[in-house]
Amino acid sequence: MADLVISGLRKEFGSSVALSEITLDVASGTFMSLLGPSGCGKSTLLRCIAGLETVTRGDIFIGNENVTALPPEKRRLGMMFQSYALFPHMTVLENVRFPLRMAGEGSKAEQLERAKAALERVQMGHLAARKPTQLSGGQQQRVALARAIVSQPRILLLDEPLSNLDARLREDMQIELLELHRELGLTTVFVTHDQDEAMSLSDLVVLMNVGRVQQVGKPEEIYGTPKTVFAADFLGAANLLPAVTIAPGAAQLAGGHEIRVPAGEFPAGSDVVIGLRQEDLRLNTEGDDNSVPVEVVAPVFRGAEVQYVVSYGEQRIRLIAGKRGPIIPAGPARLSWRTADAFVLPPA
Amino acid sequence: MVKSVPGWVRALATVLAVVVGIYMLLPIIVVAISSINSERFLSFPPKGLSLEWYQLVLTTDTYLQPFLTSLWIGLLITAIAVVVGTAASIALTRFQIPGSQAILSFLMAPIIVPSIILGIALLAFLSVYADGASITGIIIGHIVLAIPYVVRTVSGVLLQQDRFTEEAARTMGARWWQRYLLVLLPMCKSGIFAGAFFAFNISFDDAVVALFLRSPSVETLPLAIYGRLEFSPDPSVAAVSTLMVLVTVLVLVGFERTLGLGKVMA
Repeated sequence: MADLVISGLRKEFGSSVALSEITLDVASGTFMSLLGPSGCGKSTLLRCIAGLETVTRGDIFIGNENVTALPPEKRRLGMMFQSYALFPHMTVLENVRFPLRMAGEGSKAEQLERAKAALERVQMGHLAARKPTQLSGGQQQRVALARAIVSQPRILLLDEPLSNLDARLREDMQIELLELHRELGLTTVFVTHDQDEAMSLSDLVVLMNVGRVQQVGKPEEIYGTPKTVFAADFLGAANLLPAVTIAPGAAQLAGGHEIRVPAGEFPAGSDVVIGLRQEDLRLNTEGDDNSVPVEVVAPVFRGAEVQYVVSYGEQRIRLIAGKRGPIIPAGPARLSWRTADAFVLPPA
Repeated sequence: MVKSVPGWVRALATVLAVVVGIYMLLPIIVVAISSINSERFLSFPPKGLSLEWYQLVLTTDTYLQPFLTSLWIGLLITAIAVVVGTAASIALTRFQIPGSQAILSFLMAPIIVPSIILGIALLAFLSVYADGASITGIIIGHIVLAIPYVVRTVSGVLLQQDRFTEEAARTMGARWWQRYLLVLLPMCKSGIFAGAFFAFNISFDDAVVALFLRSPSVETLPLAIYGRLEFSPDPSVAAVSTLMVLVTVLVLVGFERTLGLGKVMA
């Protein structure tokens, strides 16, 4: 069952186009990330779903209801803001009760009961009587989360909720968000610019750039088979080597070496970019389908792995090797990989 | 940062604070002492002690009538300035209005313009387009003087706050009037109280604008004090001044007790 459907959405601010041709179909209970660099339109898309921005064209459906023309107060969503947007003049408990109070669900006592339960859910029950300004950033964030889920919203919207936390708290919160999502089964839209966060949390990643959806898929799909140079670079920082196809399954790198590539839709003579993941590359290893001569610039020992930067002509290539085997010193070496691990991408 | 301040600097700061405090408080203390003088004329130090001037101030119409006039004008100014200033602050900080910076400068301008110029200008204007000096003129002048203070305090408070709170309230189902009543206005509260305090004081204190726009039928408290001082300077002037200081202090203490002064004046 589709819970959130967006079709042909376009958003213009004056003469600039913030979003175009956004079409998404999100199944109920999905944890979806909107991922992209700043200015890619991910927050604008979230605000369109919330109803805080009017759309220029296109439709948004929530649970089969067309909500495009509905104001935010009638959409019955839960949203958590990057700044948390807690009400400074209310206690924590009153903050969390607010959505229930607006909906007029049940008596005051019942509302307070549910607000308390939501606070307990995020381990903030003991601070219910405090004012938000008396809480730490991490605590405020939990309160904001409780407030966003207390009314059992149709969709939970999270706008970069973890970006203001330090690394340690951020990891704790990631785990808690996952648990909460598993428990409540809420369809969740999560905006982030952090690819690791998106990959580790999401069922579905929507990769965006310059107002458009670049690729939609499970994290491992986008990582495994990126369709654009942007996707290959943004998720996992793949090495990108310009090349020209010379025959089905063969290409010539800009450095002059011929390599084998997965046969694809590009006719011979096309300019392409060969994408290679850092962990798919090896140095001085027999048995790979492709190899080119390179110069090791600097091996960096990182404990569990060794990271190398090598130069192939003008180009720098990064690779990660397991800690087994000797560390290869600076100097000439052979870089190799399996044909199936390379992806052929249209030039950016 | 604080650690690096040497001891002698801190000592100097303390001395300066005490000197400035004495400098500011001494005149008030002199006035207060003069007010219990039993002599017929205002003088210091008093020759004998008496509370008769307080009796005169509190029981005759000499000051009581002007006090009531100043009181109702002050309360009226406070109400108008708070409504207009708060609305303007919300509009200027929470909405995107073309030329909002220019509007803000315009609203703040009366703070820079000397009130004597405002008084002359208003008198000239009202003489051409209305019946000249009148209580309406005083009220208009005071509104102009008071609004900048409310705008400053309320927009100051609003700018400190998270500007997404109203949007957050919207996503939680709050309609526009609920957003104002339950979120925005309560958030402005400390700014509104501080602005109201300033607005009332500006009006209650003003002698300059009132001097230009007074009409025979209207006398505000500062005008009454001024007139008395000019024509029969007895200690009743000191008594009423002392009472005004007391009232101001009481209001401030009230704010401190209910809201916390630091917050209101921030």
